[in-house]
Amino acid sequence: MYELWSNPVVQVSVVPLVAAFVVAFVVALLLRPLQLGGLAVVAAFLTTMYFVSGLAFSPLTATRKIIILSIAAPVVGILMDFAFKPTRMGAVVLALCAAAGALWVFWPVLAQKPAAEGWLLGASVVVVISFMVGFSQLYLAADAVRAGAAGLGLGLATGVAAVLSASITYGGYGIALGAGAGGFLLPQMITGKKGFAGATFTLSAMLTGGLVAAGTMVLAQLPWYALLVLALVPVGARLPALEKAPVWLQAVLLSLYCFVIGAAACALAWPRDGFSI
Amino acid sequence: MTKLAIGLAAITLPLAAAAQVESYNIDPFHTIPYWETDHLGYATMRGHFNKTTGNFTIDRAAKTGTLEITIQTASLNTGDTDREVRPRTRDEHLRSPDFFNVVEFPTMTYRATSVTFAGDNPEVIEGNLTLLGVTKPVSLKVERWRCGPDPRTAGKRYQCGGNVTGSFKRSDFGMKFGLPTAIGDEVTLWMSFYGFRK
Repeated sequence: MYELWSNPVVQVSVVPLVAAFVVAFVVALLLRPLQLGGLAVVAAFLTTMYFVSGLAFSPLTATRKIIILSIAAPVVGILMDFAFKPTRMGAVVLALCAAAGALWVFWPVLAQKPAAEGWLLGASVVVVISFMVGFSQLYLAADAVRAGAAGLGLGLATGVAAVLSASITYGGYGIALGAGAGGFLLPQMITGKKGFAGATFTLSAMLTGGLVAAGTMVLAQLPWYALLVLALVPVGARLPALEKAPVWLQAVLLSLYCFVIGAAACALAWPRDGFSI
Repeated sequence: MTKLAIGLAAITLPLAAAAQVESYNIDPFHTIPYWETDHLGYATMRGHFNKTTGNFTIDRAAKTGTLEITIQTASLNTGDTDREVRPRTRDEHLRSPDFFNVVEFPTMTYRATSVTFAGDNPEVIEGNLTLLGVTKPVSLKVERWRCGPDPRTAGKRYQCGGNVTGSFKRSDFGMKFGLPTAIGDEVTLWMSFYGFRK
C-alpha cells in the first residue's frame, strides 16, 4: 500500500482525480436544475489544481494564467447563456477572445524562443484555441451529450498526450477535465435526460482543455502537429449519432468517436527522434 | 603643504581601498552545482547542471564579498538520457513543468547578500536563490577555499577555488511534484567552483 501511495503518478493524478470526479458529479447533480451543470468541469479542474500545485497566483506563470482563465471562462459562459442569444457572431467573438487569452498566457514564453519556432507554436495555439471554442459554441453547446462527450475525449486525450510529453502534472490537469466532463455526462446517462451545456460548459471545457494541451506543447514536449489533431476531438462529437437511441448509448458512441481522434493525437505525441520540434 | 597632503590622501585612499577588492569570473568548466534528494524513501538521487556562469568579489581587509551565479536549468543531467522503451527520460521529465519548467524559467540564480569570514577566508555566504520565479534566502557553507597562482598557466593566472554546500526545500519555490513521500522535499546542494581573477 505504501508503494502505491509513494507512486508520483498516484499522488498527482489518481487521488486528485477521484476527488475531482466526486466534486464534478456532485456539482453537476446539484446545479443541473439551474442549467449550471457545466460548472462541473471547472470544479474538477480546480480541485486537481488545488491538490497538485495549489491555487496560488504569484509568480504569475503560464500555468497560473490558465487557472485564471479557467475561472473566468464559466463566468463569461454564464453571461453568454443567460444574457445573449447564441449567434454565429457571438461564437466568433468568443473564439477571438479565447485566442487573445491564450496569447496572454503563452506570449512571454513564446517570445523567448527562436523566431521560427515561436511563430509556429504561437500560430498553433491561436488556431487550436479559436477553432475549439468557436466550433463547440456553434455546434455542441445546444446538445449537452455531444458537448460532454467532446469534453471527456479532449480531457482524457490531453492528459495521456501530456504524460507522453514528459509532464505528469499537465497530464493530471487534462484527465481532471475529462473527469469533470464525465461528471457532467454521467447524470444524463443515468437519468436518460439530456441536460444543458451552453457556453457555461463548452467555453469552460474547450478553453481550459485547449490551454492545457497548448501548455503541454509550449512548456513540455507535445509536438505541434499532435496539438492540431487534439483540436479535432470536438469534431468527433459532431459526427452522426443514433438520435433516437437512449442517452447513455449516444454518450458512449460519441465518446468513442472522440477517443479515436484523441488516440491518434496521443500516437503522434509518442516521440520520434528527428521528427519533433 | 597641509592642504596638498590632505588632497593626496583623499585621492589615494579610495584607490588603495578599491585595490583590495578582487574580482573573479566563474570558471564554467570547473564550477558544477550538484544536487541530491530522496527518491521513494529508498535511495538518494543525484544530478548536476552542466552550464553555470557568474562572478564574485572578495575584500579580505574589509571582510566583505559578493557572489552572483546563474545556472542554465535546461543543462541538468541525472545520467538518464536514453529513452530506450520509454516515451521520455528522467532528465526530460525534470525539465518539464513538473519540476524545473525550463522553457518558462531557463535560469536559476543565486545572489549573495552577505559573507561571513573566518580569518581571511569566507566561511558562510548568505544570499537569495531564485528558482521558478520565486526568491528565497539560502545559506551556503564554504567547505573549502584556496587562492593562488593557477599551475596550469605557470602562475600567470590567479585563481580561487573550493566547495560550498547548502540546502533548501523545493516546495518553498513551488516545485511540488511527488510530495510528500515519493520525491524528497529537502534538496542538498554541493558545488565545486573556480574563479579567475580579472
